[in-house]
Amino acid sequence: MADRQKKNSWWKMCLLLLVVFAAVGGAIGWYKFFREEPQPEWVTATPDMRFKYGSIGAEHDAGIPYWIFFVLPRMFPEKLPGPGGYASLGVAWEQGQELPIGFTKKVIGFPRVANNCASCHTASYRKSPDENPVFVPAGPNHTLNLQAFFRFVVDCARDPRFNADEIMSEIALVYELPFLDRLIYRYVLIPITKKRLLEREAQFKWVYHKDFPLWGRGRDDAMNLTKYFLLNWPMDDTIGPTDMPSVWNLKKYRPEKGMLMNLAGDSHDARSVIIDSALGLLSAAPHDHEDFMGQIDWLVKYLSEIQAPKYPFPIKQDQAKSGKEIFDSHCARCHASERTGTRVPVEEVGTDSERLKSWSKQAAIESNKVVRNFGIERRGLVENEPSGYIAAFLDGIWLRAPYLHNGSVPTLRDLLNPVAERPKVFYRGYDVYDSVNVGFVSQDPEAQRIGTKYDVSERASGNQGHEYGVNLSAAEKEALIEYLKTL
Amino acid sequence: MAQSKVMSPAQRILSRIGWITVAILVVAFLGGAWLIGRFGSDTPVRYTDDLEHFKYGSFGSEHEFGVPYWIWRALPELFADKLPGKGWESVGFVFEKGKNLPVGMSQRRYLGFDVVWLNCAFCHAGTVRETARSEPKVYTAMPANTFDFRAFMRFLFATGEDRRFTPRNVLRQIKVIRQREGLDDLPLIDRLVLRFYGIYYMRERILTLRDRLDFLKEQPEWGPGRVDTFNPLKAYFNFPPDKLAKEERIGTTDFPSIWNQGQRETLKMNLHWDGNNVSLEERNRSAAMGTGITPPTGDRPSLKRVADWLRNLAAPPYPFSINKELAAEGAPIYKQYCAECHGADGKDFRGEQVGKVVPIAEIGTDRRRLDSYTYDVAVNQNLIFAGYGQERFSHFRKTFGYANSPLDGVWLRAPYLHNGSVPSLRDLLEPGDKRPKTFYRGYDVYDQKKVGFVSDVGEENGREYFRYNTDEPGNSNQGHEGKRYGTELSAAEKDALIEYLKAF
Repeated sequence: MADRQKKNSWWKMCLLLLVVFAAVGGAIGWYKFFREEPQPEWVTATPDMRFKYGSIGAEHDAGIPYWIFFVLPRMFPEKLPGPGGYASLGVAWEQGQELPIGFTKKVIGFPRVANNCASCHTASYRKSPDENPVFVPAGPNHTLNLQAFFRFVVDCARDPRFNADEIMSEIALVYELPFLDRLIYRYVLIPITKKRLLEREAQFKWVYHKDFPLWGRGRDDAMNLTKYFLLNWPMDDTIGPTDMPSVWNLKKYRPEKGMLMNLAGDSHDARSVIIDSALGLLSAAPHDHEDFMGQIDWLVKYLSEIQAPKYPFPIKQDQAKSGKEIFDSHCARCHASERTGTRVPVEEVGTDSERLKSWSKQAAIESNKVVRNFGIERRGLVENEPSGYIAAFLDGIWLRAPYLHNGSVPTLRDLLNPVAERPKVFYRGYDVYDSVNVGFVSQDPEAQRIGTKYDVSERASGNQGHEYGVNLSAAEKEALIEYLKTL
Repeated sequence: MAQSKVMSPAQRILSRIGWITVAILVVAFLGGAWLIGRFGSDTPVRYTDDLEHFKYGSFGSEHEFGVPYWIWRALPELFADKLPGKGWESVGFVFEKGKNLPVGMSQRRYLGFDVVWLNCAFCHAGTVRETARSEPKVYTAMPANTFDFRAFMRFLFATGEDRRFTPRNVLRQIKVIRQREGLDDLPLIDRLVLRFYGIYYMRERILTLRDRLDFLKEQPEWGPGRVDTFNPLKAYFNFPPDKLAKEERIGTTDFPSIWNQGQRETLKMNLHWDGNNVSLEERNRSAAMGTGITPPTGDRPSLKRVADWLRNLAAPPYPFSINKELAAEGAPIYKQYCAECHGADGKDFRGEQVGKVVPIAEIGTDRRRLDSYTYDVAVNQNLIFAGYGQERFSHFRKTFGYANSPLDGVWLRAPYLHNGSVPSLRDLLEPGDKRPKTFYRGYDVYDQKKVGFVSDVGEENGREYFRYNTDEPGNSNQGHEGKRYGTELSAAEKDALIEYLKAF
């Protein structure tokens, strides 16, 4: 009798211990892996800071554990395009800041690094080589080598040195992780990060396609990104790298007037584009639907209101005035009229059509379905075959070089020349400004050292088309360019 | 119920095993405790005097780079043929009488061994002799005028590459030295650890460092008293050196003096030759990393102690005679030509341009140092001390000129200009093309007439000095010249001015 009671209480003891362990383990597990900490106050102190450094929730599924992110450039510098750690990728990095613009750090259990809109949509320029860069939120990040960044993280994951021993010893040189965190990194975070990056290999195959020209600095193949990452379609033969665009003053787009968004009018309204782009950064359905939609609302408001930056060099006002007359008679019918923001058939504008082939009605239909299944309502992608490019608004056009949808023409002056006279080879992604030709310096030795080579003979890189104003006199072109600086 | 006193065989075995287990556990516990005590230590040699702490105190660089004390003693003897002369002195280390470790070398008992490595003083302490026959006097916080950093590295790397660097040879040399000093050989356990682990580990670290710093070979020689500050930092970040732009690959400058830091802090001066940081605290920690500390291993209290001491440390007064009348004539000249950029005098640093960055086109000095520090370096530095809260670096900025420094203790800061290209103050007051095109560095006899070190002695008592050539890239002695800089004053006026500067 006593024995059985003893056995019972022994079992009860075990059960109790088990429950206690499970509870403690669960609490620790939640704390170390799931507990969300708000970002520090300075991140959201101003709207610009929030745009640059505020998390949009991408850390849940696309975040890299902070210390892995930290040591990768030191362990694998040969996998970066050049010296400078992450700076070699052309990220916009402010002095004094721990991370570049667009790289958000958030604690979800453990600190993680992910991206937000600002990584592709912050422009940088320098007025001369002996000055520091100026960063413009909502501008095009013409220096960012996004393809190199994708390749970097995948290449690191593929390298046999991406293992717990190597990574932990590298981390130990810079930070003393607490004991439990060391275990977590060694047995959980490092193996899982490696696994998840390698799982993406199929999806990233097309980033390594050896027959495709490189995107180069400032460009990405956005529609294929969507097909392969959101829809998981198998790799096809299309390619359509285009300039990362400016995203300021989005209230200029009026869907009710037939205006469409994205370079080829693939999307109905700003809100849809912002949602779809953000989902791209999240790499998954949002963790917290309400939080995500709140972020979207804030972004729509911020980007609707923020204005294009003013040209930072002197403008000859008289010349600009006569330039306006030329603009009104030669350019306004597409760039400052009812036509602005609507599709111009590609046969009419004559620019490179590869970008159009990289998207389709079917892709639009399926993408809309996927997003609806996430529980997100939006007007969404236009469900018809791409047929042309949007006649662009020209606000802040000075900072949106290079030009045309695929960034095939380095300066405005070049754009006003016939195709035969436009540069066939130049260098993209150098941030020193060329105020004479209006665009970035694209030929000198420094541009060659830092920038990526652009060759118009490569697929999807053609600089043909938009031969408007090419027959104006030299003086007229000068005046027109001077006027364009004021936009 | 009474316990039965008769135990079954099984119970007997169990109890015996039980005792054995307990005995094993106790022994293991005691053994473990002894091991932890023997090998788990981390205690620096402590100094109550602040000056001694500066010269010999530990900042924690031994954690990552510590060389066992006896190996340090053995290296110059085992590889005597790889040194430019006899002993560590031959690469310019400064030894005070009766000391086995030079100024700038600290010692700590770490993981069971006495290990040594560097602290601030190895770059910021030097010597002065009145004549060639005088005893050298050690001055702390002055630029290390005799220390040839690259010669030191070359020696260290040469030992790592040498086939003689084996446990057997090193341990044998240690035994020889200890016998000479009347000591027994090292304890057995020390010898075992060194034989089977320590010496191989050290050799591997030396060779890794050699590879990381290999790119320095393509730079012109630094010579004694100079270092390339920021290119080794790029090696620390592991930037591929062959991909760096040509203009940024040479950044050699003089070691600076580091007294009177407090006033520099309160007047918010831009620190470092190019004025890239206004935070004294951060600059100190950045410099300390040059000794080999890392964010996890730096000894914060020790660093703070030195930082506080340096805030109030006065510059050493000129030890030789000063012609007071002549100096008095120099005062108004200084006020007119120099004070705006360099401060009211050697103690009062206030002046409109003091601590500010002068654009490179204006100052006209060699721009290699400026160009060696890039925007990419500045932003990468924001990751140093990440994870340690306020300690994370955040004040480095890319500038486009050189910062004006006060001239406290300027007599001891020769040679002059950021790259040490002008041997004396008198030479600095000549226009660029009249300054010496070549001269010798590392010689510590003082030139009281020209104010600087005697710079025309190439060899003395079998010791060779370094021939500095202003034609080499990064070594230009141009700039800081023209009417504004006093190079058009009369000879008498120049003499008066430098007499006045002696008292700074």
